[in-house]
Amino acid sequence: MALSANLLAAPVAAPLLTAALILMVARWGGRTLIRHQVALTALALCLNLGIALTLFFGAAVQGRRFVLQFGNWTAPFGITAYADGLSATLLLLTAIVALAVYPFAVATIDYHRARMGFHPLYLFLLMGVNGAFLSGDLFNLYVFFEVLLMASFVLLTVGAQPAQTNSGIRYVVLNLLASTVFLVAAGVAYGTLGTLNMAQIAERLPLASEAVRTIFAGLLMVAFGSKAALFPLFFWLPASYHTPPPAVTALFGGLLTKVGIYTLFRSFTLFFPELLLSWQPALLTIAGATMLVGALGALAQPGIRRVLSFHIISHVGFMLMGLAVALSGNSLAIGFGLGAAILYLCHHMIIKTALIMAGGAVELYMGSDRLASIGGLVTRQPLLAFLFFMAAISLAGVPPFSGFVSKLSLLQITLDTRHWVVSGVSVFASLLTMINMMRLWRESFWDEYSRPSRVPSRLLQSTRRQWMMLVPVAILVLFSLGLGIFGEPAFRLSMKVAQNALDRDAYIEAVSPSALYSSDLRRGAFYTTGPTIPGGNTLSSTTLGEPPWPAR
Amino acid sequence: MPELYLRLLNRILTPLLLLLAIYLLLRGHNLPGGGFIAGLMAAAAFELQILSRGHDRVRRSIGPYLNSGIGLGLAIAICSGIAGLLNGVFFKGLWFDLHVPLLGELAVGTPVIFDLGVFLVVVSVATSYLLGLSRVSDTAAPIPDGAPSPELSDSFETDPAVVADDSSLRTER
Repeated sequence: MALSANLLAAPVAAPLLTAALILMVARWGGRTLIRHQVALTALALCLNLGIALTLFFGAAVQGRRFVLQFGNWTAPFGITAYADGLSATLLLLTAIVALAVYPFAVATIDYHRARMGFHPLYLFLLMGVNGAFLSGDLFNLYVFFEVLLMASFVLLTVGAQPAQTNSGIRYVVLNLLASTVFLVAAGVAYGTLGTLNMAQIAERLPLASEAVRTIFAGLLMVAFGSKAALFPLFFWLPASYHTPPPAVTALFGGLLTKVGIYTLFRSFTLFFPELLLSWQPALLTIAGATMLVGALGALAQPGIRRVLSFHIISHVGFMLMGLAVALSGNSLAIGFGLGAAILYLCHHMIIKTALIMAGGAVELYMGSDRLASIGGLVTRQPLLAFLFFMAAISLAGVPPFSGFVSKLSLLQITLDTRHWVVSGVSVFASLLTMINMMRLWRESFWDEYSRPSRVPSRLLQSTRRQWMMLVPVAILVLFSLGLGIFGEPAFRLSMKVAQNALDRDAYIEAVSPSALYSSDLRRGAFYTTGPTIPGGNTLSSTTLGEPPWPAR
Repeated sequence: MPELYLRLLNRILTPLLLLLAIYLLLRGHNLPGGGFIAGLMAAAAFELQILSRGHDRVRRSIGPYLNSGIGLGLAIAICSGIAGLLNGVFFKGLWFDLHVPLLGELAVGTPVIFDLGVFLVVVSVATSYLLGLSRVSDTAAPIPDGAPSPELSDSFETDPAVVADDSSLRTER
């Protein structure tokens, strides 16, 4: 195995090792030690970005697939790490978001939170997200979900404000419920298919009965849909995102729901592409409802961060729409829809993070984020007003920015596949987004200057802190602009990534679990009485036969 | 003051528990056992210390090292994985024979080192949980006659974590 495959361990190992070093060397307390923590964390984030860029060029641009079998134990027995274009794209975006939020976090996180371990937690969260994107078996996916859940729970509650603790408990309880459902799904997979390796599940799932496949898919849909904040299961998100410091909200808004979306993309393209055809009406309904509920809910929210976090839900609906039309059976639509969804995901991660950071800056300058009581910041902070405006219109989908390209491509494929209703809903949700963004901008920047409460004075005194808050926002907005201007190459690349992700056989081939069974399967010899699959003693009771869709 | 039998038990059991923890840690190499169980066993020894000597003294003696212990354990575990790169693949086991004077040849590999890391993490995490829980149970204990006993109020004031929490709340408001 080449060295390049070992690179897959780095996005998990580098943050973990750095966090361990911080815990070991730089103990809590003391401003010098916290400066050391900051330096180490920044170093790890830069390293992570470098690794992610390398993987991105290998996997997304060159179309390679990286597989790392830990300790050289092959697939069914060992742990598999897998990266193709989809995982590598998300890794790269995660690295960008984490690195961009970090200066903002350093500038705005107070000393007490830093003392309680904010910086190592930041790295643990990054490690959990990276690990979830890379894991090649269901159980490790679960483990990394838990890692990121615990890290985010502590990040949410560190500081121990009453509101934070309240929202933290709701967050962790609802997410643990989703994790339990996911664990049940993993149990179903292991009990019926005798494996947890994702490639092997994909290989054996056609052998399982219709009931098993439906239950497995339904459980995964509930678990991942809850992580991604889809329509009926989104309650944890608006309940919790507005309470922690703005930097934490920006990081969460950029990263957390995207893990759920990634796992939805991965599981539906790899495990049961055929179910998406039969479930398409339900999926499109969920997507439409998510878009509408997110946008309408945001209209009713009183604070900047509440509006922005409700909007995350709306955008998750757009991505699900891309996935749902992707599998309408039309081979052109398959790649096109998923590619558009991936482009939308990139756009969303970049611009949502920028917008939450800009909103957080407004909140810190004003001392409050209640729209009714703030206003007139444009004269005091013209640069912030400009950046917020640019990010807002990019989110709403105004031309030269990335929002336009991604929304246009999504809308195009939805219209091409004749899903009139959901495309109408998406246009309406975009309009609501525009209204929301203009409302946010008008309320916080226009009007008479009014400042309701005390302002953290050190923030206004230190120009260095102000630059550390604004420069990342500016860079992300420039990113969005670049993604919009170079929309065509970006879209081509995401199409290529989507095609790569849709190629189930290549995934199975790359991981190659148990060559014995896979070679049999490829010849089309399905077991009727033949060898038993180890651990899968219920296989005999399932109906075996031809897979419901052709191999290629 | 903790009861006499607890202090007596502490003297007898703590060394035994720690020895058993080390035995389980090394035994886990080939047989049931391993870092996690050994870590819990060692944490039980620390819990016995907390019960018999009061959480205050234990916190003062080992409290500052718990975070370092977690970090060190994680670092050791990851480094044992990175050592596998010498053999080509991340987490590939490296094996070498160690000649120990009394025991003869021992095959030692990176899995043992990984287990050592797990052991350190589990010991540190479990002990810090137990310290935190004992603080809660001490401060929440019913006070006889409605008057705060001198011991309890004393421990509350000298507890650095509680003081830090309070000051952080005060500055936030």
